[in-house]
Amino acid sequence: MTAEDAHDDATIVRTERRWATISVVIIVVLILLAAFAGIHQATMPQGRVETIDPTRLHLSGEFVESNLGTANEADGTVTVRAIGQQYSFTPACILVPVDTPIKLRATSADVVHGILIQGTNVNTMLVPGYVSEQFMRFEKTGDHLMPCQEFCSFGHEGMWGKVRVIDKAEFASRAKNGGRLSCVGE
Amino acid sequence: MSARELFTFRNTYFSIGVGVAAGVFALAAITGFVLLPRLQPELKYADLWDAFCSAAGLPRRSVSSGEIPKSPHRLSEAVLTPTTLARPTQESIGRGATLAQRCAICHGPTGISRADSPNLAGQYASVIYKELLDFRSGARTNAVMSPFAANLSDQDIKDLAAYYAYLPRLPAYHPQEQLPRPRVVIYGAPMRGIAPCGSCHGSLDNKAGSPWLEGQSEAYLKAQLQAFAAGQRTNDISQQMRNVARALTSQEIDQAAAYYASQPPDIIKTTD
Amino acid sequence: MLVNRKLILAHFWLAFVVFGLALCLGAWQMFVRSPLYTWISNPEWYYRSLTAHGTVMGYVFPTLVAMGFGYAITESALQQRLVGVRWAWAGFWLIVIGAIMAMVPVALGRASVLYTFYPPLIGNAFYYIGVVLVVVGSWIWVALMSINLRVWRRAHPGEPVPLAMFANVAGSYLWAWTAVGAALELLLQIIPVALGLKTTIDAGLARVFFSWTLHAIVYFWLIPTYIAYYTIVPRAIGGRLYSDTMARLSFILFLVVAMPIGIHHTFADPQVGAGFKFIHSTFTALVALPTLLTVFTICASVEIAARLRGGRGALGWIRALPWQNPIMLAVAFSFVMLGFGGAGGLINMSYQLDTTIHNTQWITGHFHLIFGGAIVIMYFAIAYDLWPHLTGRALPNLALARTQLWLWFIGMIVTTFPWHWVGILGMPRRMAYYDYSNPAIAPEALYVSLSAFGALILLISGLLFLFILARAHAQPATEAGEYRFSMPVHPVRSVPLALNSFGIWVALMIGLTVTNYGYPILMLAARQDTSVPAVYVGAQ
Repeated sequence: MTAEDAHDDATIVRTERRWATISVVIIVVLILLAAFAGIHQATMPQGRVETIDPTRLHLSGEFVESNLGTANEADGTVTVRAIGQQYSFTPACILVPVDTPIKLRATSADVVHGILIQGTNVNTMLVPGYVSEQFMRFEKTGDHLMPCQEFCSFGHEGMWGKVRVIDKAEFASRAKNGGRLSCVGE
Repeated sequence: MSARELFTFRNTYFSIGVGVAAGVFALAAITGFVLLPRLQPELKYADLWDAFCSAAGLPRRSVSSGEIPKSPHRLSEAVLTPTTLARPTQESIGRGATLAQRCAICHGPTGISRADSPNLAGQYASVIYKELLDFRSGARTNAVMSPFAANLSDQDIKDLAAYYAYLPRLPAYHPQEQLPRPRVVIYGAPMRGIAPCGSCHGSLDNKAGSPWLEGQSEAYLKAQLQAFAAGQRTNDISQQMRNVARALTSQEIDQAAAYYASQPPDIIKTTD
Repeated sequence: MLVNRKLILAHFWLAFVVFGLALCLGAWQMFVRSPLYTWISNPEWYYRSLTAHGTVMGYVFPTLVAMGFGYAITESALQQRLVGVRWAWAGFWLIVIGAIMAMVPVALGRASVLYTFYPPLIGNAFYYIGVVLVVVGSWIWVALMSINLRVWRRAHPGEPVPLAMFANVAGSYLWAWTAVGAALELLLQIIPVALGLKTTIDAGLARVFFSWTLHAIVYFWLIPTYIAYYTIVPRAIGGRLYSDTMARLSFILFLVVAMPIGIHHTFADPQVGAGFKFIHSTFTALVALPTLLTVFTICASVEIAARLRGGRGALGWIRALPWQNPIMLAVAFSFVMLGFGGAGGLINMSYQLDTTIHNTQWITGHFHLIFGGAIVIMYFAIAYDLWPHLTGRALPNLALARTQLWLWFIGMIVTTFPWHWVGILGMPRRMAYYDYSNPAIAPEALYVSLSAFGALILLISGLLFLFILARAHAQPATEAGEYRFSMPVHPVRSVPLALNSFGIWVALMIGLTVTNYGYPILMLAARQDTSVPAVYVGAQ
């Protein structure tokens, strides 16, 4: 038996066509899955591109020191504002209530950093000059590590922050005094 | 082979290639630009056009909304970049030398202090510049230093920074035997968010506004670390030093201060 | 007919020597950041090593392999002497000079910015200029491939271009265009800043430019492997290529869709709109198509070989394959790793799943498995296959070659599987050390140690590979015969013009670049307020 006998042209073309169809179907399914997850679970990348001057974050605007941390919003959600800089996050420990929609707004004061909250799907780059925004919600109380996930020069290995998820009531009582909340120094 | 034969819709490969590429692009674009933005309730787009521009990534200047709490302390207003005061003129250094005469009482005629004031000789210009701005504005206070800084002009501050940066780095007056590097200085403590000291303070790299520390007075270093940790000193921009100092143990503060005081200034990287 | 053997050998030898050096650095890195070693006392050494490892493995090594293999293909597939030998040597020396120029500042610790550059971190200008020279050297090769094909076409009007050469030229065009992204980033943005002519840079725009290169570069690395799948493997194991047309389509698909998909590397970035991220995600799915087609064609071709050798049954034929043949072994290992790596890749390309593993150790595990595993193991196979023809001497010992391939496969699995796992646990990339004593990350310690052990196996395998190649030069001279590529089941008599030329496909590649990258680049480039101060690393 030779190779030619076993595989005449027509067979080859037919088999190939079948396989190509299967491949295309696989790919279409993958794309539809991505679109479905985007629609159904509303897991989309950040919706807007916003720019900001990283050298003047501390002078005015939402990333001044007194505004960093967690703020209660009128609609029952909370907003966390944070910055990354060589080699720490401010606040270094982010405090949030459980079971609450959270908006994280963050940016970098110098080079490219990243925020990764371990054990969650919160993961975003901080690129100087741009504001990053992510939505999140924690189902359980507890602590998470929050390392910087992008090389930011020689102290990168020491850039680890924390996220602490606490009970809603406890959060509310701490929020009474006003100001921005964090778990720094606890 | 002619291009006319290839680039025509009579050529099946051309029409399929262009058709599929255009089709996939169109479908993906409609989904990505029109459909998906509408399904994100958090984003609150003004209208379809706003949603479309946002999905395209049209950059917009960030505007802060909501009330911003006032800070209880006066904070640093210095704007630093890695090239701040990188190339001083000779005139600037000269004027700085004249102005520096009144600093000599504490900081020494050669920029090396006999007391527990900081040594300034060969310090990074951006550091002197920033601290003087902060003393002048009140973001950093010190009974002796604040009155000196109060009347300095912007140019005076730049000149002083240029002059002190220009001075040669000399060994300090309180040299001790060189101590071994403590763990916290070499490695930091990653899980507490502490990077190695040298990654900002000069022996590995220099972060704009961070001084090199070798040969500074032990008492001075310790007092500053404690003040940062306690939140009594707050002129570090966006808490960059408070974040670290708060996480240090008091033993680590002692070790780091003693170690840096015992070092000669010969391993420091210069900026630019 | 291999005439310019010295040229080809020079490319391969330089490629494999720098590969060996970078492999040592890689193994050292795996060791020092694992719990098996106390923390490194100067983290900068780690980042310095990482920069060198990435630059050599990403830019220098695969480029030299593609070039050397490309010259070999030109002469043996087209049956004509290489045109422009002097230019080819010029390209080679540009790469040598570029690589040295880049590596000196890295070795001195003046450019520990990692091979991905990521401004506003800025290192010594010579590092970037060296990388540019490497790319320029490879562009000479691109031009030569195109010219040699043209010369052949003039002598053989209307004839089908041999598959190996068709794929080779497709790969060279892909590289020419994909390198433009990083070249623009380097020339317009980074080098002016590194030279001190400017002090600010748009970090977001730089990342978009880099993504243009960073994804498609993988396909440039991949093309020699795919050429080997299609044109070496069936011949080496005594089979036939199932279909020449399918092969051409696969390479054409790579050419068209490998490039306009790079923004999936920036899913988590704030400077690109979500709409463009979705478009790139969709096109990324398309790039799986040529791989699926390839898997089918190669499996079918391999099956032909097995059946010719008397293999029977639905799967029983697998046993009849010539497993003693290193090429057979290599392609089997390569497919296994491609399968796992590809499955991982599907996770990276969908931005819902990507958030779980973005910039974690998963990513490093992923590209080591795909590149270091599936691709590089075929580079070994290519070398084993070509070596007797280049040196005029038989390989000393096939058993040794098989051992080497086994070790590489095992080493790569042991290295990358735990690596993926710690990535899922959230272990971030590119850190000089980790505090494994902390209970929160203590569970990662075991897996990281396993990875480090795998790296040791890889190092042994890599050194063994160099040893085998070097030993081959000392073997008695034999006549290796003419270097041939696999024959398809049915000889190719004519090929449609569209599948025998690149016009449409290059036009589509550029067209899709304009649609998919045009706006994201232009809107950032047009703005003045997005540039940020450069941060010079390791202030000199």
